[in-house]
Amino acid sequence: MKRSDLQAMARRELERQQAVRCRLLCCASTPCLSSGAATVQQALEQAVTDNKLDAEVAVVSTGCMGPCSRGPMVTVQVAGQEDIYYENVTPESAQRIVVEHVMANQPVAEKIMPSDLPFFAKQHKIVLANSGLIDPERLEDYVARDGYSALAHALREMTPEEVCAEISKSGLRGRGGAGYPTGLKWDLVRKAPGEKKYVIANGDEGDPGAYMDRTLMESDPHRLLEGMAIAGYAVGADQGFLYVRGEYPIAAKRLEKAIRTAERRGLLGSRVLESSFSFRIDIRIGAGAFVCGEETALMASIMGRRGQPTPRPPYPAQSGLWECPTLINNVETFGNIVPIIAHGADWFASVGTAKSKGSKIFALAGKVDTTGLIEVPMGITLREVIYDIGGGVGEGHTFKAAQTGGPSGGCIPAEHLDTPMDYESLRALGAIMGSGGLIVMDNASCMPDVAKFFMEFCTDESCGKCVPCRVGTVQMHRILERITNGSATAADLQILEELCTMVQETSLCGLGQSAPNPVLSTLRFYREEYEAHIQRRECPAGVCKMTEAPTLALMEALPRRIRELGTIPMSLA
Amino acid sequence: MPDLITITIDDVEYKVPNGMLLTDAAKLINIDIPVFCSHPKLDPLGACRMCLVEQDVRGRWMIVTACTIRVAEGMKFRYASPAATQAREDTLEFLLINHPLDCPICDKGGECPLQDQTLKHGPGVSQFQEIKNHKAKRYPISDLIMLDQERCIICWRCIRYLEEWEDKPQLGLFHRGDRSVIDFFPGQPVDAKTSGNIIELCPVGALTNRVSRFRYRPWDTKNIDSICVHCSQGCNVRLDGRIHQLRRVVARENMAVNDEWICDKGRFIHAFADAPERLTTPLIRDHKGGELREAGWEEALALVAQRLAFTADVQGPAAVGALGSAKLSNEAAYLLQKLMRGLVGSNNVDHRGGAAVLADPRGLSAIRDVEQADLIVLAGVDPAEEQPVLATFIRRAVRRRGAKLLILHPRQIEDTRYPGAYLPYKPGQEAALFEGLSRGLLQEARVKERAARLAGFADLVDGLGNAAVDAAGAEAVRLMLSAQRPMILYGPALVSGRAAAANRASLMNFALLAGCVERTFYLAPEANSVGARDMGLLPASLPGHAAIGDAPGRERLERLWGVKLPTQPGLGYDEMLEAAAAGRLRALYLVGSDPASQGPAGQAALQKVDFLVVQELFLTESAKLADVVLPAVSWAETDGTFTNLERRVQRAAQAIANPHSQAAPDWLIFTEMAKLWPAVAGEAKAEGKKSKRKSSGAARQWGYGSAAEVLDEITRAAPMYDKLSWDALGDEGTQWPLADAAGSPLSAVASRRLTPPERRSVAPGRDEYPYALVAGQVLFDYGTLMRQTEVTERVAAPVAVSINPADAAREKLAAGQPVSISSAVGQVVLPVRLDETVQPGTLWIPYSLPGAPAETLLGSVSAGSGARVRIAPGALSSSEKVG
Ligand SMILES: Cc1cc2nc3c(=O)[nH]c(=O)nc-3n(C[C@H](O)[C@H](O)[C@H](O)COP(=O)(O)O)c2cc1C
Ligand code: SF4
Ligand code: SF4
Ligand code: SF4
Ligand code: SF4
Ligand code: FES
Ligand code: FES
Repeated sequence: MKRSDLQAMARRELERQQAVRCRLLCCASTPCLSSGAATVQQALEQAVTDNKLDAEVAVVSTGCMGPCSRGPMVTVQVAGQEDIYYENVTPESAQRIVVEHVMANQPVAEKIMPSDLPFFAKQHKIVLANSGLIDPERLEDYVARDGYSALAHALREMTPEEVCAEISKSGLRGRGGAGYPTGLKWDLVRKAPGEKKYVIANGDEGDPGAYMDRTLMESDPHRLLEGMAIAGYAVGADQGFLYVRGEYPIAAKRLEKAIRTAERRGLLGSRVLESSFSFRIDIRIGAGAFVCGEETALMASIMGRRGQPTPRPPYPAQSGLWECPTLINNVETFGNIVPIIAHGADWFASVGTAKSKGSKIFALAGKVDTTGLIEVPMGITLREVIYDIGGGVGEGHTFKAAQTGGPSGGCIPAEHLDTPMDYESLRALGAIMGSGGLIVMDNASCMPDVAKFFMEFCTDESCGKCVPCRVGTVQMHRILERITNGSATAADLQILEELCTMVQETSLCGLGQSAPNPVLSTLRFYREEYEAHIQRRECPAGVCKMTEAPTLALMEALPRRIRELGTIPMSLA
Repeated sequence: MPDLITITIDDVEYKVPNGMLLTDAAKLINIDIPVFCSHPKLDPLGACRMCLVEQDVRGRWMIVTACTIRVAEGMKFRYASPAATQAREDTLEFLLINHPLDCPICDKGGECPLQDQTLKHGPGVSQFQEIKNHKAKRYPISDLIMLDQERCIICWRCIRYLEEWEDKPQLGLFHRGDRSVIDFFPGQPVDAKTSGNIIELCPVGALTNRVSRFRYRPWDTKNIDSICVHCSQGCNVRLDGRIHQLRRVVARENMAVNDEWICDKGRFIHAFADAPERLTTPLIRDHKGGELREAGWEEALALVAQRLAFTADVQGPAAVGALGSAKLSNEAAYLLQKLMRGLVGSNNVDHRGGAAVLADPRGLSAIRDVEQADLIVLAGVDPAEEQPVLATFIRRAVRRRGAKLLILHPRQIEDTRYPGAYLPYKPGQEAALFEGLSRGLLQEARVKERAARLAGFADLVDGLGNAAVDAAGAEAVRLMLSAQRPMILYGPALVSGRAAAANRASLMNFALLAGCVERTFYLAPEANSVGARDMGLLPASLPGHAAIGDAPGRERLERLWGVKLPTQPGLGYDEMLEAAAAGRLRALYLVGSDPASQGPAGQAALQKVDFLVVQELFLTESAKLADVVLPAVSWAETDGTFTNLERRVQRAAQAIANPHSQAAPDWLIFTEMAKLWPAVAGEAKAEGKKSKRKSSGAARQWGYGSAAEVLDEITRAAPMYDKLSWDALGDEGTQWPLADAAGSPLSAVASRRLTPPERRSVAPGRDEYPYALVAGQVLFDYGTLMRQTEVTERVAAPVAVSINPADAAREKLAAGQPVSISSAVGQVVLPVRLDETVQPGTLWIPYSLPGAPAETLLGSVSAGSGARVRIAPGALSSSEKVG
């Protein structure tokens, strides 16, 4: 396939789409599927056939449209009219949509999700631009929206060096958590000596509650492949690996299909778009541990070794897979490549703040009116996200905290609601941008309990390789347990803080290094809650059951050596 | 000069080699950064966080692990800073949180890095009050090693050793977080042959030695440097003795020989030294058919001296013979042959694996040379069973340097798992196999061109004919020709038995054609196989390899010993037993040799001799038939030197002594016996008078006061031992120079002459013995020394005959079923074992199983390692009994 063939394909597809009067887009991403989207789609198709509309109406399954908590979602596109979103669609309402809306032009009012809601208005879709609009299983649909033309452009009109420079200029930073400048990383790999190089897309997404990457992989797989291919060209790699989390079978299936289609059409594989550049992509299914998302552990896993981190340096850019220079980026990071090449670095850099460019996808969850997947410009305030996009915490509840970054992140209290969401501002608050988990909590949440939840996650997920994390997370968790069951003493709090610093500074990989973050940040903003638990044996949020007695004050007075024996059962004290 | 760079530690600048790990570089400048997971022989891991220091990373001081950082110009570190010190203290405190303080009863106590580091770097007190984690405390990970999961600090050294040196990932980390434990994979306990090294690598007392557990405290033993005498590698060890007993064997570093590893036989099989069954006093049988009774040394030695001298006088010296062993020290071997030649006047001396093996006495150029080869040919050897530490070096060559293995062996041995080629053969097909390969080589024009200049080329080409080369052979030839640094290693199995000469000729032809003859080496099997040859424990060669017929060589020794030496070559091992059976050999002296345990033929021969002397550690099958039994001591109870497979002469010093035993070192027994020799004694009496006896001057020759004095004489008897001395050998031994072999009979082995192939009669097709018996060495057999410890029960090879499952199916044999196997000379009954690695048409029985089934079927030890046999279900029926 050549560039002109691409254009021809796009033309044909557009003609095909315009040949129908109406398109019924039906979300087929995991959240909607689990609330019954498959039967809704069947109902739509049945209604279309029953009413002999096959020639003028097309039913299309697409990726995520965003307001997942309101799914199954259906979009009705009628030529010349504004798109209309339906929420909570059932097979019965599907029937009515066809009969009343499509045939009689009478939209089913009670199921409509108003498109002028701030939920849509405040978003800025760069990565998810196609999501919910195209059929992820059809290459043609992607090509019709200019798919693979960025790759064709890069191959024909740009040198690898120029591609790296363009990415650098865009200001794109890694979306996998740490926010490392992507262009810089690409350039390091490009310049690293070595015949063989690799590109890896990290789709392990282990943060509890996060599903940004899954959505992208399920909704727009070709965007990811195209981004990886551009990366391969830029750094001089001819092999890519897509590391997909084990719990994401639909994503893996769609990607597999997309790779096969792209290879058949000469968009991947040898001599991409009839150039001299070749690029293969293979899928690797994750081993099911959070730590496998850490880049060195992930590479070990790809190489068939035990998925455990190894010390850096050497960094993957110098010595990664099989000791070759390796570029590893997050899936969402790759999702930004095509728009940057297609619309230019300046366009991209015009969105966002001085140091954080473009948009970020968040999985908005917790106590807000509308949860779901949102893509917002960097620099948007937390208040806008929660109150405008999310629709607020609901009548009679008070916002208490927003947790970002999952087990590696922290909590942001109400007084900082106007903080712009960018890498530096979040870090200054002791939270992190993270990969995009965003949990909103109201005053029914107990902060020490939240910290305990994340610490428990870390004790479970610690791979056990290094001492600080293996032992430290458990020690921290036990202290948090004592705090939340009423048996902690003031000394515990001090030890907890010391432990946090130590585990942060001395752990081998990011899991251990960031495991104390939820504790540190809740201690920073909600210290009085900890103190209430310890001094008054009281949980202000009413979550913790103070079932254990505190260690006797007497015990505290004992010399440390004797206390250590720890033989006096706490419950007797 | 290595490339030096400047780094800063605690504000002081140092010059250190570029790219070195910071922990190693710091050691050079006397900063001892504590470590647990890091180990000089294992790849860096960075898991334990004990070695934390601060590093200046673009202006920020970061905590980093010293064991994973390679130093480069300008790097700045802080070791003694409060932050770094605190970080290390914290790590230690964490390690101790779940550590049981078992020190008073822990085997590691006193030599425990965790104890030491805690003292040096630990916090004064612990601030944690959490209950310790409980895990398995007595968890056997193999028959030899016990794991205490509570003591384990998860440093991965054991995992990494098995992966990086054994290439056997048999241990792993299971579960996550603080539930992590070291464990083996379900149903597959550790069985690597050098697994015991992980006990020493373990920085805590988590891995303990199930043989010596609780039998020593490290500060309480007397530790003596020695070597292992279980195989030809001669690994350096330290013997830890206490109350006259050998409590433990640990490895000692010798980079040239064993790096710092030993195998499990060397480590765990030492109970024989302290066994209650040891002989402690001489025994005499007053008349044939009588019982052995205890006797004093004086009486026993006088009796032996008189009877041997008498037999030589009356029946002629040729009626007396001696069988030594390749396990004897140089000193013992030297004196035994000196006694036979000088006092008895007979060249009838040999040892099992002696004259019958066409060994290249030079052995291997150097052990660590195998690591430089890019193709290693293993011809009829299985280092994994025969020299397990050498086997780990071969695996390193494969895994780290990409070497390939070309394996020719009757069994599909373990190392056939590596890239290269495997050519199976049946015993008897060796020469044909090499001839096939030679034909393959000759198809290459460049080989042909080069070989055309060699003597014997035309005859060889003629003899080889032009039969086609099969695919496996072609692959082997391709490997051989594409290798830059090939190396051929062959073992005794290939060059012993009836076809020994033909096999060796065909191997050498192949090596010459491949241009690899200088790198073709013989792997000697036993601890002193090389030394026994050097000492002349052979019927046809004298110390220093002078042939009996070589007059100048003989005369040199005559001058040294002050005697006239016999000029006719003596009888070899089998020949002596045959002569004994035929009544021609009337007196036999066995030193560490046990022919009676090698089947009925050996027993019958020993029963025929008039006078049988056995010098031994135990009352062996042969000793039970003896007229006089002389109790000897083990290598741990006397000084001695041994020459390993790379000609390295090494010291084994006395480590223990049993005050309740009268057993004596071999050298002392020979010395004292010689003094009682009638001629010598007579001469001593007739002091001053002129004597015309042929042993004149002999008395002066037997005045050794120590093993070192014997060695002193050896240096004059064997030219290649020139200038050696007990002291000069030091801790690491000395290789005798290969150059000494040039111009001597040794160099004949590498003569650049092609030998035309022998015409062989075509092997009969399906005869009454349809199977080829394959016999061979395994590490853990049931030899005398192995039998003295209960661990043998657990680790020794199964007592069975192994057969390919396809053959078993055809013969309708089920695993475990007893079968009788018979050859032309013997018959045995064994249970069947099914084994894929045994090729169809062959049966595999290791040497030295109880009852010596393999030896019985072979009939004689020099028959080579193969015989034709048949197999039938059921036990031995009495009418079929042979012999
Ligand atoms: C414990 C741990 C888990 C991680 N999990 C993920 C993950 O699921 N997905 C991801 O993209 N990056 C994850 N990372 C970050 C990766 O190591 C790596 O930095 C990232 O893939 C780089 O891509 P980027 O530069 O595009 O962000 C994780 C890091 C740690 C320490
Ligand atoms: S920090 Fe935790 S997850 Fe990372 S290597 Fe150490 S133990 Fe494993
Ligand atoms: S391993 Fe060391 S610290 Fe632990 S119990 Fe044994 S001797 Fe004591
Ligand atoms: S058993 Fe010993 S060597 Fe193995 S990981 Fe534990 S402490 Fe380390
Ligand atoms: S390899 Fe041989 S010498 Fe070395 S320890 Fe094992 S048996 Fe002893
Ligand atoms: S999954 Fe359907 S809208 Fe997100
Ligand atoms: S010694 Fe450096 S991390 Fe273990």
